[in-house]
Amino acid sequence: MAKPKRKTQRHVLTYMEDAVCQLLENREDISQYGIARFFTEYFNSVCQGTHILFREFSFVQATPHNRVSFLRAFWRCFRTVGKNGDLLTMKEYHCLLQLLCPDFPLELTQKAARIVLMDDAMDCLMSFSDFLFAFQIQFYYSEFLDSVAAIYEDLLSGKNPNTVIVPTSSSGQHRQRPALGEAGMLEGVEASLFYQCLENLCDRHKYSCPPPALVKEALSNVQRLTFYGFLMALSKHHGINQALGALPDKGDLMHDPAMDEELERLLLPFLRLAQVPGLVNSVTASPEASCLPSRTPPRVGSPWRPLHHSRKVDGESDGSTEETDESET
Amino acid sequence: MIPGKYRSVSGRAANNVNCGLHLVIQTSSLPEKNKVRFKKVEFKLNKDTSSFPGRLLQHDLERNYSSRQGDHINLVSSSLSSFPILQRSSEEKILYSDRLSLERQKLTVCPIINGEDHLRLLNFQHNFITRIQNISNLQKLISLDLYDNQIEEISGLSTLRCLRVLLLGKNRIKKISNLENLKSLDVLDLHGNQITKIENINHLCELRVLNLARNFLSHVDNLNGLDSLTELNLRHNQITFVRDVDNLPCLQHLFLSFNNISSFDSVSCLADSSSLSDITFDGNPIAQESWYKHTVLQNMMQLRQLDMKRITEEERRMASVLAKKEEEKKRESHKQSLLKEKRRLTINNVARQWDLQQQRVANIATNEDRKDSDSPQDPCQIDGSTLSAFPEETGPLDSGLNNALQGLSVIDTYLVEVDGDTLSLYGSGALESLDRNWSVQTAGMITTVSFTFIEFDEIVQVLPKLKIKFPNSLHLKFKETNLVMLQQFNALAQLRRIDQLTIDPQGNPVVNFTLWKYYVLFRLSHFSMQKINGTEVTQNDMIMAERLFGILAHVASSELPQYRLISILGDARKKQFQYLLESKGKKPGIINEENNDSKRLVGENTNRATLNYTTRDFYNEKLEEIKEKKKFCKTYIEDLVKEATEINMKNEALQKLWPQMFIELVRDAVIEIRNKNSYMKLCLQQITDQK
Repeated sequence: MAKPKRKTQRHVLTYMEDAVCQLLENREDISQYGIARFFTEYFNSVCQGTHILFREFSFVQATPHNRVSFLRAFWRCFRTVGKNGDLLTMKEYHCLLQLLCPDFPLELTQKAARIVLMDDAMDCLMSFSDFLFAFQIQFYYSEFLDSVAAIYEDLLSGKNPNTVIVPTSSSGQHRQRPALGEAGMLEGVEASLFYQCLENLCDRHKYSCPPPALVKEALSNVQRLTFYGFLMALSKHHGINQALGALPDKGDLMHDPAMDEELERLLLPFLRLAQVPGLVNSVTASPEASCLPSRTPPRVGSPWRPLHHSRKVDGESDGSTEETDESET
Repeated sequence: MIPGKYRSVSGRAANNVNCGLHLVIQTSSLPEKNKVRFKKVEFKLNKDTSSFPGRLLQHDLERNYSSRQGDHINLVSSSLSSFPILQRSSEEKILYSDRLSLERQKLTVCPIINGEDHLRLLNFQHNFITRIQNISNLQKLISLDLYDNQIEEISGLSTLRCLRVLLLGKNRIKKISNLENLKSLDVLDLHGNQITKIENINHLCELRVLNLARNFLSHVDNLNGLDSLTELNLRHNQITFVRDVDNLPCLQHLFLSFNNISSFDSVSCLADSSSLSDITFDGNPIAQESWYKHTVLQNMMQLRQLDMKRITEEERRMASVLAKKEEEKKRESHKQSLLKEKRRLTINNVARQWDLQQQRVANIATNEDRKDSDSPQDPCQIDGSTLSAFPEETGPLDSGLNNALQGLSVIDTYLVEVDGDTLSLYGSGALESLDRNWSVQTAGMITTVSFTFIEFDEIVQVLPKLKIKFPNSLHLKFKETNLVMLQQFNALAQLRRIDQLTIDPQGNPVVNFTLWKYYVLFRLSHFSMQKINGTEVTQNDMIMAERLFGILAHVASSELPQYRLISILGDARKKQFQYLLESKGKKPGIINEENNDSKRLVGENTNRATLNYTTRDFYNEKLEEIKEKKKFCKTYIEDLVKEATEINMKNEALQKLWPQMFIELVRDAVIEIRNKNSYMKLCLQQITDQK
């Protein structure tokens, strides 16, 4: 059987295995549910890209599709953070990642941060878009990048670039610092030589690599480059981003009309409260029971908590979508 | 009214009561006929008094001697020496043979007094005499008055063995000395001098009155040997402590006004003196204290007069009552300070253990590659550590306190404290205390629970207990609890209600995140928290929180496949119900609670109910468990795949072979039927064969 087929087959098998595993884990709950329905839902969620939510890291990174789905999910969930303009530290981004994947390793986040910060001042704040694109490259192409790092090191130290290079463990990454002492004037490696090695790598590599043509494009403008310069160039390259298909273009990063609409609906009760003058936030907290996960968004009229002036809020929606002024500009 | 013989006799200061000189002059009984007519102005004495054996009448020494004595006394300067020589008319000599007054004569030196060797009273008041001289011949002298002169040193008295009264007030004497031979001294007045030390008077065993007022004494001691002393005047000095008074068997009156005594301990010897009946302390710092009166009365039961006022029975009773109260208070505060100290030590201990633990974790994290050679000490050693290990910032401890604490053989490794409405837990051992039987009243009053030096993951596990045992706890405080992830706040959602949350930056790195407050508000929005870290939560904060994380919630609820939702929620609920069932049995109240809880769990903003927190340990455990299943699944699927591929192969092979097989089948059939007759015979035979 041809190689590509084997690849896809392997991934299908992964999902099959995982599905059965999930079935085993939640036997009692699912047995009431119906096995056929379970499988349907499972593969539906795989298609939609929601299967990786709150799953362990080993599953999240298992297939390229999983990785893409994860990236997309991260973007969708935390786009608002970016939109708000907050600059966060690497640790905080890592925290956000952990909200979606509890055992996400810190190492990956650190590597991503290094790309953004060019391996300098690791406590610096980063913008959402910078981090996200760098993270995409690092996460999706992790194995590829490990090999590239090894190649870079070799090139720096002047070894023959065409020898077969076996990617070492991920600890190869911290041999990054270019030896500035030797080539004070000439930093990094020559671009064209570098590209040749990459091309060889892509041919041989069993893991996913960025399309060589696009890589060439990214390297076209420079004579020499450093490792992190290269990664930065990759992360900023629109073509590669599009090829991945996980995230929208940088310009559109903050746009997601469907979710924005959703968000507005969620915010409505709060904004209404804000408009009522003199209403302090000391409302009692007995939550209304909206029933267990409904796919439909909560109705506008049903407040999440009863207010002092309950008359004001409940049932007063006349159905029109009110253009509420945002009290928070 | 003071009896006559104790009437005050004084020098010029008779009218000034401040430095009143209480001279107690011991007189033997006076024969009637020697009563003297008292004349104020004139220095004239009744003849009758000429022969009084050894007795001084008080008015003999009255200050009101006229200064006009020039009539009777001639001071003739002699050519022999620089001293003037005193001469009296023989009339005078006969009239006043035993007394001589040279008051206000502007004398700068003592004149030589010839022919008066039987003199008994000599008065040199108000002169400018600098040295006591030329009186060694007056060996019968009983009273010598040198008040208000300029004498700098006591000297020239060694022959006056009969001297009974020596008045040296208001001079410039710096040191008590040269009194060795004056063994009969009865009254010694040294007020208004510059004396700094009590010395050289221990041989004066007949001394009854000693006046050292208005000197520079800073302490009182060296009083032994004064076996007859009944009055001791120490007013207007700088005395800070008093000793040796209990060695004075006859002392009755002690005047310590206007000194520097500030505590009763510095005059504690007074309590041991059984003879003291009259004492003054006014003008001392001690007299300003609230406990002054009753402390003095309590310690000196023999006292009859204090600060010139009689002590009544009522006062004594009050004193003992108050003293008892003081004792109680002191004991109480001693106990309190002991407790406080213990508390502080325990907390220090817990803190140290915590630090070690954190270091150890950090070491493990960073030294993964190399061998961990510098592992921190065993925590067991801490339990035995004594006070000496503590930092020097401890304030001065009572010696008694110190002793008591040395007795603590084991210093606790955790601390549980209830202070009104606050329950404070220090150290992970304290979490077990939640299992104790708390009285409903105490537990009901607790509104604030504070956790310090405890891992948050450990706290998470006892949160259900907290919910049940302390239903009114509305304010949670966390300090040094290792809150590092936003996720951990998810665990707080299981509580009934939180009004206030305080996360101390110390030991909780999560506070350094920009978004942590918003995340808390978002995840715990169903609590409608009012304050986070002391600042009020505004509507804007809530909106912002929702804005930032609302989509996360939406995704977490609506985009998860149904079965995932069930399994996630199922997990969380399972854990809680398990605890509820385990504890307290199947009381109906609890069951209702279960139902309420489940309702509330459902009712909680369910779109974020899926955001749970499992502690790292649990999580890793779960992953371990899953490994087995995964392995099984893998092999199972592989088998299935193998089977499927086999079947597929077979199918394909069949597909390939089938046309050939079909043709052969058809050919065989056709060949068989080619000859109708033989086929018929064959079939019939087959049928008979079968039978």
